[in-house]
Amino acid sequence: MPKFPYGKVPFWILLIAISTGIFNLVATLSKRGEKPDLVFVSFARSHMEAYEEATEEFQKEHGVKVQLQLVSDRTVKSRLQNAFLTNANVPDVVEILADTMGTFTKGPIEDVGFVDLTDRLHAEGLYDRFVESRYSRLSRLGRIFALPHDVHPLMLCYRSDLVEELGIDVNTLQTWDDFVEMGRRITNDLDGDGNPDRYALDLPANGDMLTPLLLQRREPLFTKNGQLKIDNDTVVDTIIWYIHQSRGKDRIAFSAGWGQTLAKTVTDGLVLFYFCPDWRTKYFETDTPHLSGKMKLMPLPAWEIGGSHVSTWGGTGLAITKASKNQELAWKFAKVLYLKAEDLGKRFKASYIIPPVKDAWDLPEFKEPVPFYTNQPIGALYAEMAKDVPSNYASPYYELARNKLNEVFINAALYYDKNGDDGLKEYIKRELARVSAYVENRAQHNIFYRQQIANR
Amino acid sequence: MEKWKERLNKRTAPWLFLSPYLVLTLVFFIYPFIYAIILAFYQTNGPKSWNFVGLENFAFVLADGDFHIAVWNTTIFALSSILVQLPLSLGMALLLNSKKDRLKGVFRLILFSPYLVGQIFVGIIFSVIFMPRYGMFNRFLQEVIGWGLEKRWLENPNLVMPALIITAMWMYVGFNMIYFLAALQNVDQNLEEAALIDGANPWQLFWAVTFPAIKPVVLFVVVMSTIGSYQLFELPYALLQNAAGVAGYGPKDSGLTIVGYLYRTAFESGDLGTGAAIGWLLAIIIFTISFIQMKIGRGLETE
Repeated sequence: MPKFPYGKVPFWILLIAISTGIFNLVATLSKRGEKPDLVFVSFARSHMEAYEEATEEFQKEHGVKVQLQLVSDRTVKSRLQNAFLTNANVPDVVEILADTMGTFTKGPIEDVGFVDLTDRLHAEGLYDRFVESRYSRLSRLGRIFALPHDVHPLMLCYRSDLVEELGIDVNTLQTWDDFVEMGRRITNDLDGDGNPDRYALDLPANGDMLTPLLLQRREPLFTKNGQLKIDNDTVVDTIIWYIHQSRGKDRIAFSAGWGQTLAKTVTDGLVLFYFCPDWRTKYFETDTPHLSGKMKLMPLPAWEIGGSHVSTWGGTGLAITKASKNQELAWKFAKVLYLKAEDLGKRFKASYIIPPVKDAWDLPEFKEPVPFYTNQPIGALYAEMAKDVPSNYASPYYELARNKLNEVFINAALYYDKNGDDGLKEYIKRELARVSAYVENRAQHNIFYRQQIANR
Repeated sequence: MEKWKERLNKRTAPWLFLSPYLVLTLVFFIYPFIYAIILAFYQTNGPKSWNFVGLENFAFVLADGDFHIAVWNTTIFALSSILVQLPLSLGMALLLNSKKDRLKGVFRLILFSPYLVGQIFVGIIFSVIFMPRYGMFNRFLQEVIGWGLEKRWLENPNLVMPALIITAMWMYVGFNMIYFLAALQNVDQNLEEAALIDGANPWQLFWAVTFPAIKPVVLFVVVMSTIGSYQLFELPYALLQNAAGVAGYGPKDSGLTIVGYLYRTAFESGDLGTGAAIGWLLAIIIFTISFIQMKIGRGLETE
């Protein structure tokens, strides 16, 4: 055998490199298997688990293969953006957070990577089956690009055992003023160490609850036409209210966080009342099972007597991508997942998330008592709120605007720590004007968004 | 024929062996490099819509208040790395350089091991440690000095940077200590002994003998720390995120770094052209600072 011209060592390196390459190729090709007819990507494990049975049935009925992929909620947006840019591995069907819809619909309609579902919804008589306000998060330029997954009405959940022990009748907490008065009575330092050991309300310290509270007051961040709308008296008022409840010696709120600290806060009874959209009810049940029978739900107090008790927090939509080679099949799959009545009841029991499909709310599963919540029929309670859930319009700058609103809150809170209420209102107004100008400047920098507004 | 074959082999062999590396460099470095240069002068919307905007992206970034905040935050972090972290690393290296310590290897491993777990893990761990009321840090403060149980390290914009610096110190002090330790091992023992015989105290010994001997390594570590600091992203992002999925840049963007600003612009807002412009500005900043540092360092060496 002729000697390898470059010597023994290069020969063995070359041999190892080639055999590794061949091995990797064979391993990759063997794993791929049959290409699925549909690829469905979601970020929520609870959704995926709930869809498994329906997906199996769909596959059998249509003789197709559907691949379910679970992706982290942090990465679904960036992976989808990358997929659209490179036209590689674009899923056929994808669940996205409603907050991110604006990013994908920034420019001209023809550039949007999702199929326009508006005409289909009307033609098949499906439009009116959904809660109309939920389309607002998933639409741009008057076109609907995703099916709403949920309504996410917002209530307060509370430690009913401790609340009853303190002699609080939640039926008297009709307004936020009533609630604050109660909160000031019961927020106390019980052991004399200078730190309260019992708070009335969980309020995130960074201002995260501002948007849902503003929605309760029918003040979405953006108008239907995409104008930022935070520079007004209602927003100023809400920020001042939030500051008063979370700072200073009269505060009634603590920021319980998420995960383990939230579970500990609830268990210890450090905080009594928590903002609770339907999706959070399952978290409490899973993370604090030992509190079964000690938790209850109540509507949000209104901002004024006779005012609305309804708001919403969060949202997801299901979109079909234009890159899909099986758009009709994808549409059929979407309808099965989101509209098949028999499955919607089962799914509610698994996740406690009520669907935006109004005719599903009469299913018996929604009326069943839930032992964790002291046998309250939480499905019926949320369904009662669902039809009045306010609209919340999408924008490419939604996330930026929300972050800037939080920035105003933080600045105002620091101002309040130094100066109290003296000049606080004027300070907040100036800050809101500043950030509104900032977001507007950002939006104007985007040439496609500029063209979109000009073409209206 | 044989001679021709041999000549061909000698010429082609190096290219053959370099080809895998060259292909990968072309695909994953040179192509993106050129693409990024072009992209910085455009605004894009998806794969189809490209609009040439000239220097508008650069002008926008340079005028953007958030960019100024990011530069300020990153610079503060970089200065803390050089002025706090590195002296601490050097101090630990000097302590561990003692010949007599039998547990030297064990301490070296203990101090180096935080670096092994990665920024994301460290960020998440410290986000729990800094939690108000239940976090280990606040509980410790409350027990020892009776203060700080509800201190919001990660929710107060004035405390975010100190929290980030503390977290980075835990992670990187041991890593930089290894470099200094290796440098100290190569200091000429004869010079040290001669200095001691001449009556030098430890402080004089360090400045007159030890530090000049390890200066090249110090310069290297300072430059690498600066570059690493200006590339900071994962640690604050993991530290300052919350489980609700709200972006990890801290209240009032107090933890926003230049790379964080790039990520937010390019991937959260989908503005790739402006993101590319930010990348180029960052490269210019790092290059300029590194160049100045090396000039100063070489100047000091010549002296």
